[in-house]
Amino acid sequence: MLKQVLAAGFLMLAGAAMCQSVSELKGDDLFGGLRARHIGPALMSGRVSDIEGHPTDNKVIYIGTAGGGVWKSQDGGVMFSPIFDDYCQSIGAVAIDPQNPDKSIWVGTGEIWTRNSTSVGDGIYHSKDGGNNWKKMGLDKSERISSIQIHPENSDVIFVGVLGALWGDSEDRGIYKTTDGGTTWEKIFYIDQKTGCSELVMDPNNPDIMYAAFWEHRRTGWSFSSGGEKSALYKSTDGGKSWNKIHNGFPEGQLGRMAIAIAPSSTNILYAVVESEDPSKNGMYRSEDAGASWKHTNADFGLTVRPFYFSRVVVHPTNPDMVAKAGLFGSISRDGGNTFKGLGSMHPDIHDIWFDITDSDKLFSATDGGLYRSLNNGETMEMVQNLPISQFYHISVDNQEPYNIYGGLQDNGSWFGPSKSPGGVEARDWEVIGVGDGFRVYPHPTKPHIMYSEMQGAETIWRYDDEIRQTKVITPFPVKGDPKLRFNWNAPITTSSNNPDRLYVGSQFVHISNDKGDTWKKISPDLTTNDPAKQNQAESGGLSKDNSGAENHCTIFTIAESSLDENVVWVGTDDGNVQVSQNGGKSWENVTEGLLNAKLPANTWCYHIEASVFDKGTAYAVFDGHTKNDGNTYCYKTTDFGKTWTSLADENVYGFARSFQEDLENPNLLFLGTEFGLYVSIDGGSNWMKFENNMPATAVHYIDMQAQTSDLVLGTHGRGIIIIDDITPLRQITDEIIGEEVHFMEMPTFYMDEESTFGGTSGETQFVGQNPSTGARIAYYMAKRHTFGKMRMKVLDKDGNYVASLSPKKKKGLNLVYWNFNGSAPKTAGGKTISRGGFFAPRVPAGTYTVVIEKGKKTFKTNIDVSYPKKSVFTLAERKRQEGTTKELFDINEELAYLVYELETWTKHAQMQAKVNPKLAKTGSKLAASMEALRKDLVITTGDNYVGRAENKLREDIGDVYSTIGGNFGPPTASQLEGVDLIKERMQEARDQMDEIRKKDLKKYQSALEKLEVKTPKMKTFEEYVKKDK
Amino acid sequence: MKILLAAITLMISVSSFAQVTADQIIDNYFEAMGGKEGFRNLKGQKMAAEVEAQGMTIPLEIYMMADGKSITKFEVMGMSMSQDAFDGEVAWGTNFMTQKAEKSEAEDSENKKRSIGEYPSPLLDYADKGYSVELMDNDVVDGVDCYKLKVTKKPILVEGEEVENVEYYYFDQETFVPLMTESEMQSGPEKGSMAMTLYSDYQEVDGMYFAFSMTFKTEDSDGQLIELESIELNPEVADDFFAFPVEDEETTTDEK
Repeated sequence: MLKQVLAAGFLMLAGAAMCQSVSELKGDDLFGGLRARHIGPALMSGRVSDIEGHPTDNKVIYIGTAGGGVWKSQDGGVMFSPIFDDYCQSIGAVAIDPQNPDKSIWVGTGEIWTRNSTSVGDGIYHSKDGGNNWKKMGLDKSERISSIQIHPENSDVIFVGVLGALWGDSEDRGIYKTTDGGTTWEKIFYIDQKTGCSELVMDPNNPDIMYAAFWEHRRTGWSFSSGGEKSALYKSTDGGKSWNKIHNGFPEGQLGRMAIAIAPSSTNILYAVVESEDPSKNGMYRSEDAGASWKHTNADFGLTVRPFYFSRVVVHPTNPDMVAKAGLFGSISRDGGNTFKGLGSMHPDIHDIWFDITDSDKLFSATDGGLYRSLNNGETMEMVQNLPISQFYHISVDNQEPYNIYGGLQDNGSWFGPSKSPGGVEARDWEVIGVGDGFRVYPHPTKPHIMYSEMQGAETIWRYDDEIRQTKVITPFPVKGDPKLRFNWNAPITTSSNNPDRLYVGSQFVHISNDKGDTWKKISPDLTTNDPAKQNQAESGGLSKDNSGAENHCTIFTIAESSLDENVVWVGTDDGNVQVSQNGGKSWENVTEGLLNAKLPANTWCYHIEASVFDKGTAYAVFDGHTKNDGNTYCYKTTDFGKTWTSLADENVYGFARSFQEDLENPNLLFLGTEFGLYVSIDGGSNWMKFENNMPATAVHYIDMQAQTSDLVLGTHGRGIIIIDDITPLRQITDEIIGEEVHFMEMPTFYMDEESTFGGTSGETQFVGQNPSTGARIAYYMAKRHTFGKMRMKVLDKDGNYVASLSPKKKKGLNLVYWNFNGSAPKTAGGKTISRGGFFAPRVPAGTYTVVIEKGKKTFKTNIDVSYPKKSVFTLAERKRQEGTTKELFDINEELAYLVYELETWTKHAQMQAKVNPKLAKTGSKLAASMEALRKDLVITTGDNYVGRAENKLREDIGDVYSTIGGNFGPPTASQLEGVDLIKERMQEARDQMDEIRKKDLKKYQSALEKLEVKTPKMKTFEEYVKKDK
Repeated sequence: MKILLAAITLMISVSSFAQVTADQIIDNYFEAMGGKEGFRNLKGQKMAAEVEAQGMTIPLEIYMMADGKSITKFEVMGMSMSQDAFDGEVAWGTNFMTQKAEKSEAEDSENKKRSIGEYPSPLLDYADKGYSVELMDNDVVDGVDCYKLKVTKKPILVEGEEVENVEYYYFDQETFVPLMTESEMQSGPEKGSMAMTLYSDYQEVDGMYFAFSMTFKTEDSDGQLIELESIELNPEVADDFFAFPVEDEETTTDEK
């Protein structure tokens, strides 16, 4: 039935299902087996925004992160797995349905710790199966969800606190309620376009009682304001129908961000943390009458510091007087909030704390540097080491082998680490080369031991020499006549491919050094709009001043020197200017007008300019409007030095863009990074496809391409460094190829890897980044997935001899199959135990091999070239000696195997005949005895595979010598060759003994068989016995 | 022509539904596979299979029976091993070190008992077995648009506690052939991650269709491919074929 249906179905559907042109392709049609690889790191982890534990099972813990999605632990907080990769990775709140806590999980997106670099959310999501599947449940424009409160007796009734837009006015704020499980929402409490709900809590004993903190706030690209007349703390006693301010005991005047918590064990006791006009009245307030009155209990630094970043207070589940407050270091009180001590040593900037529900000494803490757990109530803190949620602002790569990746992290310094490492990319592989917040980090283009890094606002720019482990500060200072230099929080540094000692730094001016930063020269006027209204950072912060440098504005943000002409330099500014110089900075042309003509809104932050490697007049520019409350995608191309620009973004791209990469060989292959993931175009930007193969919907802040490997390297702001290895197949896709049943892509020469397999010191609970495969990556495109009929794949040598079988991939689109350069293991003699060496499959010699795919009745072939490693201490002659000896031992192994097979076959036959045929009893028994005696000398016939192991016999000794020599990369040692001689001698003895048996006992037995007309046993020939190809 | 019409009818009948239901998908799946009746009559199957491991091709014999009994037998360098064996009461396998049979944890045996009835497919007469199905949002497997079905089977025990036993099926929307199944790992360091099985190389056996290629994988691994050489339906097997082997007294005597 199926066959006929399919035949008919294919006739009808064949045309419809296949794309005719690359411009019609979707990501699912093309990317197939091309997969992202995550290398973390996790040793410095990233910002965790929320912790939520299961209400009755303390083994289950969820965390929401600032840019890395939602992670779940099912072992009490030891191991965590990501469960929200396909959706917005910026998380405000995670909530567990008390009625159905194993399955029903809600996630509100949009981090609520509103620092300058915070991302945005896009609504609320629900899982009905503990996080395996998610469904978006609306509130699309909420941007930031602070709280989700689920009615304890009715899972369909949910209240959501929406903080809302950070960067502009919005009516999508306040408290929302659903009574149908999220199908529809009603906004039940709203203040105004500037004031959102920063916290909503529900009395665990009475769901009609709720408390809500409202916060008037606004961030712009150049300032931040916390507080106003509308900030307030409200209470409802009627299930959210009406709300009343509860300020009795609070300071007068404007209020800022507030935190509110109920003591679960005594719900009339409340704690609030207040920001007000009077700093002496900021800090902790306690109410013992459910909010009717408040008493100020503490205004210490730990309680009042940076309310916009740390407004969370958490009460112990059983002790109403134990209360913890998020903060720079985190504080904990055991006397009802009167006095506090700091939590134990951990990464600063604590955003949430979670007390274990059953173990009163256990707690978790969410920080800018990951998640920490404590088993002694916060005295000592231990970092969770398997959360690769690091937040890179920028990355770069070098040209070493393996290449390194350099980058700076939010609040976690500057680092470099390898793209691969024996045993995987581990914590120990990373080296720190800058403190504070890290941003742009670059290696010197030709002296990779020299590298540059910086901290926030270019307060310090370092040149670091890794050979002598010395740093030198090389920050450019203002010179006579200069105004104050304005450096962005994330100030641009870049190197030059034309002059390796050159370094650029951008303030409002372009600074250039041609001696690695020792001397600096300004080569531009102020290239920004220099708008004085955007330069009052000292006043920034609102009720609590907050002038960290994070709001510095009217600064240069991106600098790009053309690799084709060092005189062509592009500059983009955070206030929306694009300027280009074609004479090395002698003069500059402001080309912003052409962008405005192409519908870019004025003053939109230019996040990145990519100077084309194909044409010096061509450049790409991406713009990020989110700090102006504009989430559209802006990506432009010019081919005339910026005079005119064409928009490349289309409706398939979701989220504002920050990063871009032009392929180094195919000008039509482009990569675009947005706040919600990676997009690829293979037709010059007409059609964008989302890349989702192991690529979470995380913010891609920077993209680079490593020239030798053609790896695409992504610096993400929440999931660390993600690599897509060798994108060369994408360069080759054409309209013709996508119609083919099987199309082998052009493949480079494959180099065998000789690196040791030592390495790997990490424990199970530590994150280890994946290595790329070291095998030959065989790439082919299939227009359809293979589902019906057989599909096999194998490798043949140049003479057509079978070498190895491979496991074919059968996806629609690109398929990648890895061959480890090994042939087949030898046929090894059977015994009571295994011969470990007999499992060894030898590496093939360098040369040309044919890859064959048999698909149904059709055969597809291609040749690949395999070569020895480029860097090696071994000569070709030495390799040939190694290969020759290995082959010799391989053959001996198989010869012995066949000999033992013959012995076993004859023995079985003789034993059987001796039993059933009296005339064969004597000769049969004799033959069986002499053969069995020989077999026992050749293979192990007793013991087990562990410490009950018997002494080695010939089979095991052959295996050991064979696999030792075969496993080496160089020639056999003198000692090994002596071992080979001994093996050969012993093999000869075995042959002689066998000949002896053949001549005597076997001959007698055979003649007896002949006489009695008894059939000889069925015996395979040697060729049949060792055959490996099917 | 009759066949072509039948095929067209089948496809149109599905595509014309604004929203296909889980039961329609299941019905179409069995129709495409050769009809429910054939599957209902199956008493078991024996599969000759091969796996590639470290340059060696290891032949396997896999038995799966309607009464829940199962065994996978293979031979390496003359040593016979059995894995994933279940005799209706006891789950067991050969210890590689000692080459002796060892019982699995009691919970594994109990879970095997609870899975009796899943053969040949949990979807066959699923309601009679007490299973439930739910149509999930469409998804893509290997570039193919798929219907995704959640199948909730009998609960299993994990560390002594009863937990829901869910398997997701992904059906090619054009042909109703399952391309993948998926379930959550319930133990070990990867607990909570999904384990997947990809199906392909469908071929006919006695009027029914079976996947002759299966790849067992996780999100982070390429997985292990098993290719079937042949499938024998309703194989004759001795009663004690699946039984946990009783050792000779001699070999089980404690050493003094």
